[in-house]
Amino acid sequence: MKKVVTGVVGNDIHVVANRLIDISLQARGFEVFNLGVNTSLEEFIDAVVETDADILLISSLNGEAEGWCRDLQFLRSEYSLRDVVFVIGGNLAVGEAKQSDIIPKYQSYGFDLVFHQVDLNTGLDTLEAYMKERA
Amino acid sequence: MSKLLIDVGSTYFKVCQQSGISQYFRDFKKDIYDDLITKCGDIFAQYKKEDVFICSSANGGLSTLIIGLTNSFSLKFAKNIAFNSGINIIDTILYSKIEETKAPLELVDVVIVVGGIDGIGNVFDEKLFKYLQNVQYSNIVYVGTKQDANYLKEHLPALKILGNIITGKLHVNEVELKEYLTNLYQADIVGKEDIKHLYELTSNQIYSTPYIVNRSLPFIDANFEVVNPFIVVDIGGATTDIHYSRDLVRDNILTESEYDRLVFKKLGVYKSRETLVFAAKNNEFVYELLAYLNVTENILEEESEKALRILMQLSIFLVLYKVSRLSSMYVTLHLELLKTVVLTGGITKVLSYEEVESIIVFFYKKVMNLHAIPTIVMDYNYAIWTLGMSNTETRS
Repeated sequence: MKKVVTGVVGNDIHVVANRLIDISLQARGFEVFNLGVNTSLEEFIDAVVETDADILLISSLNGEAEGWCRDLQFLRSEYSLRDVVFVIGGNLAVGEAKQSDIIPKYQSYGFDLVFHQVDLNTGLDTLEAYMKERA
Repeated sequence: MSKLLIDVGSTYFKVCQQSGISQYFRDFKKDIYDDLITKCGDIFAQYKKEDVFICSSANGGLSTLIIGLTNSFSLKFAKNIAFNSGINIIDTILYSKIEETKAPLELVDVVIVVGGIDGIGNVFDEKLFKYLQNVQYSNIVYVGTKQDANYLKEHLPALKILGNIITGKLHVNEVELKEYLTNLYQADIVGKEDIKHLYELTSNQIYSTPYIVNRSLPFIDANFEVVNPFIVVDIGGATTDIHYSRDLVRDNILTESEYDRLVFKKLGVYKSRETLVFAAKNNEFVYELLAYLNVTENILEEESEKALRILMQLSIFLVLYKVSRLSSMYVTLHLELLKTVVLTGGITKVLSYEEVESIIVFFYKKVMNLHAIPTIVMDYNYAIWTLGMSNTETRS
């Protein structure tokens, strides 16, 4: 069973979306460690280390993830997390933004999969396909 | 038949009977047992051993080194549990940085090793053993993933293995470690030769005073006008303890107890006077504070009643400072939410209400930038501990 650490990054209290992600992941057979809302990037990384998780799935709805996730490469390098898949999804920009601008930006921060305003099931289908391909 | 409650402090004995509380200054030339018998022998003669309950804070306090996998879980959880067990943290080490970290020079009472949820393995390796070769310690305890327990035990025969403090849902499980550390703290106190003799006076367990005071907090409003959230500051001769409502902490840790405590081993005004003065001199606000109290720093070297009063005022300031947002060494309390400060211990015998109030006004103005201060309650009779003793006795 693949292990996923999830939660909502930064000063963001969108708890309903967080619960839906948790339930959907469990329904797809993942073991879920849900850190809930208002979670810092360091806590996410630390949870991945403590649980030896396969996937880190960060969600953000207030659009402020950009400011909270810039240090991902740095924190990743603190531990050897080369096999962990880093995913971010939700509403990833404040105001209007194009997918073509957002996705490369988050990829440059160190995320493997980026879902900006993509519905949850489509995102999770893509994640499962990605994991299968890697295996 | 009523009970006899005794608190053996580093400077005073407090004796509580149905008729009231009396206090006796310690004679440091005698050991505790002889001194107690000389002063209260006739009182003991009136009670059976099973009706005598004793707690002690004389020379209490332990030091800890915590080695953990991450800051947000292993170290945070273990640190919180250690603080609440009355232990003084000396150091925390992030395991990923252990090779670059120097070993402490002092003897460590207990080393805590923690990391990983149950089910994951190979968290720790030779790096840990290499580091520990340079550390002098009396006890070592492992509270991490089950899978590494046997491997660690093979290399560290003295290792005590307890249940993982990190649950499968990344929550804290404090029961076993808290009990172990509380017992160590307890053993440290009662294991001292002086205290061992006291079992000739009682057939009940001798507890540490910080534990007893903490146990009394849920019952405090029976005797005092206290509004939650509150803190109880117990300033004594050797140690200074602060007990606080968990409403003042925002650490996202869910625990069963409503109240936690911190024990500062070296902030007493008699036995640890030198370290108190040292801590004061190194505080950024101290000269301003001394000017506010109309004295100069020379007062810290004096042996007078006035010097003692100033030292007590300094210790109130320092203990509040150590739990404020300006100090990250210990727990950070949201003191702006605080409604009541209760002062107990030797300090209430020396300082007046006005002297305590002036120092708390200074603290809130300078450190918190607030003009309003919490209500101050003085436990002049040092009665709080008796609430905890009675409760412990009822439970047992």
